[in-house]
Amino acid sequence: MKQLYYDVDKCLGCKSCEIACAVGHSATKDLFKALKEERVSLPRKKVMHTRGKNYPVSCRHCKDPKCVDACMAGALSYDKEKGIVLHDETRCVGCWMCVMVCPYGAIRPNIKTRIPLRCDKCKDKDEPDCVKACPTGAVIWQEEVEIKL
Amino acid sequence: MDEFKEKSIDLATQEMLKKAQDENIKTAWDRLELQQPQCGFGQLGLCCTVCNMGPCRIDPFGEGPQSGVCGANADTIAARNLARKIAAGASAHSDHGRDVAHTLSLLADGHTHDYEILDVEKFRDLASEFGINIDKPKEQIAKELSKRLLEEFGKQDGELVFCKRAPKKRQNIWKSLNITPRGIDREAVELLHTTNMGVDNDYKNIINTGMRCALSDGWGGSMVATDVQDIILGSPKPVRGKVNLGVLKEDYVNIVVHGHEPILSEMAVKASMDPELVNLARRAGAQGINLAGICCTANEVLMRHGIPIAGNFLQQELAIITGAVEVMMVDVQCIMPALHEIASCFHTKLITTNPKARFPGVIHVEFEPKHAYEVAKQIIKTGIENFSNRNKERVNIPKQEMDLVAGFTKEIVFQILGGRYRATYKPLNEAIISGRLRGLAGVVGCNNPKQTHDYFHTTLVKELIKNDVLVLQTGCSAIACAKQGLLIPEAAREYAGKGLQEICEAVGIPPVLHLGSCVDNSRILTAASYIIAEGGLGEDLSDIPAAGAAPEWMSEKAITIGFYFVASGVYTVFGASPFATLGSKNLSDYLTGQLEEVVGAKFEFCDDPLKMAHLMINHIDNKRKALKLKPVMY
Amino acid sequence: MKQFVIIGNSAAGIAAIEAIRNKDKESRITVISDEDYPSYCRCLISYYLAAEIDEGKILYRPLDFYKENKIDLLLNKRVIHVEPKKNYIVCDDKSKLSYDTLLIATGAKPKFPQGIKGIKKTNVFGFRTIKDTKDILGQLPVTKSACVLGGGLIGLKAAYALKKRNIEVKVIIKSRQVLSQMLDFEAANIVQRRLEDNGIEIILGQDVTEIIGNGDIKAVKLDSGKVFGCSMVIVGKGVQPNVDLVKDTDIKVNEGIIVDNRLQTNIPNIYAAGDVCESFDLTKKSYSINALWPVAVEQGKMAGRNMAGDSLNYDGSLGMNSIEFFGLPVVSLGIYKIKEPGAHIEELKLSNTKENIYKKIILMDNIIIGAIFVGDIRNSGVFLRLIREKIDVSSIKDRLCHENFGYPDIIDLLKDKECIYV
Repeated sequence: MKQLYYDVDKCLGCKSCEIACAVGHSATKDLFKALKEERVSLPRKKVMHTRGKNYPVSCRHCKDPKCVDACMAGALSYDKEKGIVLHDETRCVGCWMCVMVCPYGAIRPNIKTRIPLRCDKCKDKDEPDCVKACPTGAVIWQEEVEIKL
Repeated sequence: MDEFKEKSIDLATQEMLKKAQDENIKTAWDRLELQQPQCGFGQLGLCCTVCNMGPCRIDPFGEGPQSGVCGANADTIAARNLARKIAAGASAHSDHGRDVAHTLSLLADGHTHDYEILDVEKFRDLASEFGINIDKPKEQIAKELSKRLLEEFGKQDGELVFCKRAPKKRQNIWKSLNITPRGIDREAVELLHTTNMGVDNDYKNIINTGMRCALSDGWGGSMVATDVQDIILGSPKPVRGKVNLGVLKEDYVNIVVHGHEPILSEMAVKASMDPELVNLARRAGAQGINLAGICCTANEVLMRHGIPIAGNFLQQELAIITGAVEVMMVDVQCIMPALHEIASCFHTKLITTNPKARFPGVIHVEFEPKHAYEVAKQIIKTGIENFSNRNKERVNIPKQEMDLVAGFTKEIVFQILGGRYRATYKPLNEAIISGRLRGLAGVVGCNNPKQTHDYFHTTLVKELIKNDVLVLQTGCSAIACAKQGLLIPEAAREYAGKGLQEICEAVGIPPVLHLGSCVDNSRILTAASYIIAEGGLGEDLSDIPAAGAAPEWMSEKAITIGFYFVASGVYTVFGASPFATLGSKNLSDYLTGQLEEVVGAKFEFCDDPLKMAHLMINHIDNKRKALKLKPVMY
Repeated sequence: MKQFVIIGNSAAGIAAIEAIRNKDKESRITVISDEDYPSYCRCLISYYLAAEIDEGKILYRPLDFYKENKIDLLLNKRVIHVEPKKNYIVCDDKSKLSYDTLLIATGAKPKFPQGIKGIKKTNVFGFRTIKDTKDILGQLPVTKSACVLGGGLIGLKAAYALKKRNIEVKVIIKSRQVLSQMLDFEAANIVQRRLEDNGIEIILGQDVTEIIGNGDIKAVKLDSGKVFGCSMVIVGKGVQPNVDLVKDTDIKVNEGIIVDNRLQTNIPNIYAAGDVCESFDLTKKSYSINALWPVAVEQGKMAGRNMAGDSLNYDGSLGMNSIEFFGLPVVSLGIYKIKEPGAHIEELKLSNTKENIYKKIILMDNIIIGAIFVGDIRNSGVFLRLIREKIDVSSIKDRLCHENFGYPDIIDLLKDKECIYV
């Protein structure tokens, strides 16, 4: 199963991945039109900055997802085949249990829509939008690495 | 070939793109792909690099920072970015105008013998406009006129002389808004000043200052360029020419002029006809010298001499890729840095001529008006000598070339639309009043690989003329439509609505009039002023049933032109991507909305040519209604 | 073939089932529930009451879950006795069921303080089950105003739901603040203001002594003597574990059933999980009941895996609550209030009253033992991780309250390095 990894030395913090993520999840898929949509799509990942370097943070699609366990509405589930944590927006009530338990802080609450923002590995596409969007190739899409460094 | 159909509707371009692909040569289209995705912050105008506390970004989704380090918000940042582009565009046009005025002064002082006053009538009219007594010898007038013209650039107060050409009502609007341009250089400097860190934070005020700078171009720098070029190079007259890559000839020495300032290309035209050089070419094995142009300089020499146009902006690399160009001589503006690499794939010699536009490692033959003709001859000679280096195996000149008619100026419109006996705008006005003509449209501007090359221009223009709108064109837009056969009188029968057809047939003009280069957009301003002066169509430029469009724009100059048209009261639509202002809702809404209450016109952004045509047609119809004109005839 | 019996069909029960079935597809599993409803999301009843979700969304697992996982589901049956010496349980219909391994996940029931006169009247509701909710819904058409007793999560969620249904609500709280079991005074005030701004009346420092009415409820009387008219009372004064079924057995019970770090009771083949059990709280460092949905799931999962043969260690439970009222999100983790200051205890605070943002982090010996987030709850999961993994945060103490604190700040402190950043 493929996962997203990040080369911190190449990340410039330009946030093109955030924009591509938001636009890719919008209805119109066009930057200019996406901003005018009624429910403006927000990025599912965030580039954080600490100690002089940039670190993109996105859902790790853990094999034993804490968020799935914590979801009190049963809206989150783990798809073993695809290796993705899936979110059913129709069951979600915006209780933010998932935000509370994610060990990576990879889920952000969207208070306006009461739906959590989290990466879904662009499940209906061949490759996540952020991979193509990164101008320096800092976003790496490859088979899962099982190592502990 | 299908992938190329998406890139351009022009067959010659498609062919050359295939050749480039086969020969592994990268063009602007390839480089655009590699640039994807282009930065969203930049596209939205939300990136500010003005000062060293940055670079700053505003989060368009509202989650992250909403102000830069200095506190500037999205409105200020987007407005400042836009203002800098207006200043840059105005500087390009105005600097061109300065060079031309300077040439006139050299002529007046006897420092150059390669130019002379060719259009004496216009020369006298211009001198009178500046209040110069024309009961003097030509040289005296020329000295005074060139001095006054150059002064327009350095003026600090008052107003630019050409502002008086505009209808009184329009001049008053400018005065009331404090946007009457005072001095050509001053407005660019002041605009740049206000975009510095910590100066103007009010986006509406920034736009105001921007409009003033744009006006100093439209009614200043560009107008100086147009009028003085007419004086020393001759005013254009309707002329037949040819356009597209097919104008390059296999058995001739092909010299391509590219850039903007005709004081250079005019000399190239002359030199290409020099018997000594023609002989030299024959001795080198060619049938002669074939001069062709790209971009605005092409339009200039087309308008005055019927010189063929090899192509518009996006075809500059492709001309070299035909393998048949011996020399491409360039001066300033719209010249892709990529040309150097592409020329080095062939025998083509790229020669720069202007100290403002150098390429590292490229031959530079500095062009000075003082030795204009000599320099031009030298460059052409280099071309002739290069003829034998042409690799005949790699030559592939597309067969496409199209006829066109160009050479329309405001005076010509007088003359031809006035009929043979009365030089007046009355017939044009009457055509609009009676409804035979719905109105006028100015379709201008560049090419952009973000859209299908030439498609927007031609589709838009065809739809407009179908609806009896007479289209005035300049620049690469005119070249695009010319390539598709819209600039010949026969096009009226095929594409124009009945009313427009009748006029074209009666007068013998195409339904689309080529007015020249991008600085010649000033001709449209002057023509519009004459239309108002003639009467019956309102009192201000914003009353005329007219609209402007820049469907495939690329350059900052296009932004400036857009602003001077809007500031002059002409509703202007831009295609492709909108200005980089969408990141600021306030600014975008202002430009496409409230601005109309301020200057009587606004911008519109539209990404579909048919929709754009109908936006313009609707606008024209509304203006007709406001003037209480009869409904359109057909 | 083994026979697993699981008493309880909610968070802990379902988690245990899935954990067992992950490893063992063959053994028999029987689940017994005293409710007449397939497994549902208990925490969603307030949203259901508020008409923010409809009944279809309240199921925790699809209806074919039991069939798909080969579970025998016995609904509407209450287990009244466990016989550990003979390995069987007895139900209220006198039937018996033998087990090889038993999981007690019977949850807890609302406390109805007997000191309140009239507490047994009709229209005095607990707010725990879907039946409670349906009963309340049934009374809404004839209810204009209601009183909620208790300022905990249950009480406030009930009050919110009633307000959404346009019922006038008063919340009567004995403590001097709302949410006294999960927030400190300052945070509680922010929440209280938000509730009051949205029309929910909060009465602090008072207790209800009597529920007045002949047959129907007419009013409640407070210990101050004040009387408020209302026709419905919802009691949210805490829950007590359902331990009746292990009365008179050797199973060790305090307030809840005591479990060890394997979720095992003192009887080797009997496990307990969820609201019924009392486990080691890793922030309090003592045994405690943490009756919270995610804790129940965690414990059920762990119990299930151990029941199926694994030997996994449970570090312990901790308090973890997440709630949102009228656009104000609140998260509380671990120890949220220091009872007595000490040399080893440190408090970091960030308070922004203008934007209703409040953050407090409590450290002991440079290890985070608790945190409160109001208004901005981003990255609270990272804090939960720091608490759980007992990470020494002295090197990043100044970053903790920072707006942009997140996972990248702690990657060097983690014991097991993870491969995300190359």
